[in-house]
Amino acid sequence: MFDQILQFVLTGVTVGATYALVALGFSIIYNASDVVNFAQGEFVMMGAMSAIAMSAGDGIPVFLSLPLAVLVTIGVGILLQRFAIAPARGASVVTTIIITIGASIFLRGVALLLWGKSIFAMPHFSGEQPIHIGKATLLPQNLWVMGGAAFLVLGVHWFFNHTTLGKAILACSCNRTAAQLVGINVGMMMLIAYGLSAFLGAMAGILVTPITFTSYDAGVMLGLKGFSAAILGGFGNPMGAVAGGILLGLIESLAAGLISSGYKDAIGFIILLLVLFFRPSGLFGKATSERV
Amino acid sequence: MRRLAGLCLLATIVVVLPILFPDNYYVTVVGVTALLHAILAVSLNLLMGYAGQISLGHAAFFGIGAYTSAILTTRYGWDPWAAIMAGLALTGLVSFLVSRPILRLKGHYLAMATLGLGIIINIILVQGDQLTGGPDGLGGIPTLSLFGWALDTDLRWYWMMGATLLGVVWLALNIIDSRSGRALRALHGSEVAAEMMGINTTAAKTGVFVLAALIASLAGGLFCHQQSFISPDSFNFFFSIELVTMVVLGGMASTYGAVFGALILTLLPELLVVFEDFEVMIFGAILMLMMIFLPQGLFVGLQNLVLRWLNRRRSAAFGAVGE
Amino acid sequence: MALLEVEALTKSFGGVTAIADLSFDVPPGQVYSVIGPNGAGKTTLFNMLSGIYHPDDGSIRFMDQGVVGRQPHQVAALGVSRTFQNLQMFFNMSVLDNVMVGCHLRTRTGLFSAALRLPRIKREEKLSRQWAREALAICHLDKFIGQEAGSLPYGVLKRLEIARALAVEPKLLLMDEPAAGLNDTETLEMRKLIRRICESGITVLLVEHNMGLVMQVSDRILVLDYGSRLAEGTPVEIQNDRRVIEAYLGGEVQYAL
Repeated sequence: MFDQILQFVLTGVTVGATYALVALGFSIIYNASDVVNFAQGEFVMMGAMSAIAMSAGDGIPVFLSLPLAVLVTIGVGILLQRFAIAPARGASVVTTIIITIGASIFLRGVALLLWGKSIFAMPHFSGEQPIHIGKATLLPQNLWVMGGAAFLVLGVHWFFNHTTLGKAILACSCNRTAAQLVGINVGMMMLIAYGLSAFLGAMAGILVTPITFTSYDAGVMLGLKGFSAAILGGFGNPMGAVAGGILLGLIESLAAGLISSGYKDAIGFIILLLVLFFRPSGLFGKATSERV
Repeated sequence: MRRLAGLCLLATIVVVLPILFPDNYYVTVVGVTALLHAILAVSLNLLMGYAGQISLGHAAFFGIGAYTSAILTTRYGWDPWAAIMAGLALTGLVSFLVSRPILRLKGHYLAMATLGLGIIINIILVQGDQLTGGPDGLGGIPTLSLFGWALDTDLRWYWMMGATLLGVVWLALNIIDSRSGRALRALHGSEVAAEMMGINTTAAKTGVFVLAALIASLAGGLFCHQQSFISPDSFNFFFSIELVTMVVLGGMASTYGAVFGALILTLLPELLVVFEDFEVMIFGAILMLMMIFLPQGLFVGLQNLVLRWLNRRRSAAFGAVGE
Repeated sequence: MALLEVEALTKSFGGVTAIADLSFDVPPGQVYSVIGPNGAGKTTLFNMLSGIYHPDDGSIRFMDQGVVGRQPHQVAALGVSRTFQNLQMFFNMSVLDNVMVGCHLRTRTGLFSAALRLPRIKREEKLSRQWAREALAICHLDKFIGQEAGSLPYGVLKRLEIARALAVEPKLLLMDEPAAGLNDTETLEMRKLIRRICESGITVLLVEHNMGLVMQVSDRILVLDYGSRLAEGTPVEIQNDRRVIEAYLGGEVQYAL
């Protein structure tokens, strides 16, 4: 029993680490521009798919295709900001939601056009020899996912707390006008925020695809889960989003193992709803009260 | 009577189309779907456009209505009308129970909660296969008959859906232009001020949430008997999003806008079929472009343009002397 | 007997005390003002009086009925209405509709009869429209009746909020800084409006920073400092109160009447 649970926990943390990266992407974009980017999951798909496509057949070697795929995805993120989000500044929340949903459909459409409906695999980074921990097993790739995610999360944390650029982006999210007045190039900061968010998505895709495979519509569920995780942690709180991601991964993995794999997504969402019913601003979110 | 001029125009269009083109695919097949979507969009618009409560899970109530009626008629031999009533009762109950905790939430949290609710209900439809038939769906659903008149042709279904849509639009217009409707718009504008005017905002939100769910459930009941086969895919997250898009595309807080949005979003994929592989991509691009350039919605945007043009003509005619 | 009795009211936010052991009575038929420097707890007080916040301690009685523990809409039903410091208009509605929302408590029809447009709806709509017109007339807003609230200038919106509150037919009207942001002409008009409202039998509880307006319009004044009562009395008494003068650095209250 214990070994079984350990196995579920290990799987859960791996999946959760992916959710955490996607959720972090949601938070960064939300903080910078008040937009819920429903195309966040498509960044994950784009990262993985373009890496696979570049290395396919006689393509370029993996160590080149991975960074190139990340760059492509960052480019997609920046284009999204520049040509879809920026022109619609001042639009209502629902309008921007529809715009990003439009963008996600568009990106899925592009992927469908380029790569069709097949499911694609990606080689593991360092072999598929399982590692045993008690009776539980772990693939080296699981370690890559967990380690990579941890590294990226710490990096993002450092970026926002210890670099001028990171602080400038935070300043824009606090008060756009004030940031502009002290000479911050707000437009540029937005591009960076979207680029960073796309970068995290692409990294998540590249890290996890060797385990989960990918296809043109793989981003949809990941996007939803990332959004759930960000809300669970308290929307707009980046480290809350990370915690929410890990938690959601664990809940799903345990629910799938101990209760029913068919209902694992449902159980994840039920717990999310229960959390919201009792803490309407998420686990680590600040309770806001209307000022009148 | 000026109040209902738009409704008369809509009724005329609905009635004249099949008389002019009785065998046209776009009228009797696509048209029925468009009418169904319009019913759903009008109901969601009451909740979202007027009361300002976003719902990304509206398809779930559509699904509860459809599946309840389908299960009761195919597995238990119920009369279809009684089954639709049962679907309404169940939807009313479910929506009432979830409305209180869900509608306490605001903004993105409300969006997430309704999205989650929709997904949970959809998963139940997929997983509860003993009852629902699971992902393969449920077939052999009998058609409806009205006063001994079986709805067994596309054209008859067109009339049925058309009449239902006109009824729902009439209902929606009545509500918006009343004490209850003003209360809904008021809580959209400022919840705290609405409370101070003596509006029980919790009760008002619950009321409109349940009402919107009931209309969706009725649409679901009709849908399952019209299709005779349903599967969970018709009630999934994507369809919820599509409904939201119809409302926003037409223009929030405009009943005719919702009808218009439903029409556009039903026709668009039909027209894009010619682009084959490019279809999905173009659909996404059109969605983005329309929202970027007409953020207040197509219908409302065009309406404003026309009004502005009329105003300019009028002031020109009277030799404008300024404000 | 007092219309509104506040006793030993206390409220703090995360350790910061906004209102401390505050007691006062508002007699009916008067303009009763609450003044004090920024952060003295005036808006917090209003939010408790209208049921938006619940006090940590103390009691509020309006016409001998407890206010504490009631939702804002229930407080409104007792006969308390208010305006807001930062405008809380329904910008998605027309001027007439805004004020018709104020008639909510004076009408009864529900969602069901509205959906089917039963005959009583028509009667009620007609009445509501008439009431709303009357409230708009009191505030001299007749000419804006057909416009959208979102298209109006600030000064007009300030009065529209009052018209909306009057449509509730309150016995007590809480006004939170009605003259903030108004120019001299508009302030003068506001002063007249407040007096008119009071003379029509509605008790006014006023929070305002414009001392000229407060001194001219009030029957009694309560001075708050750090959430407690510094002084209370008629405008003349307040102007001669040493503690008040000290609290205001001696300058602000000395103005030419």
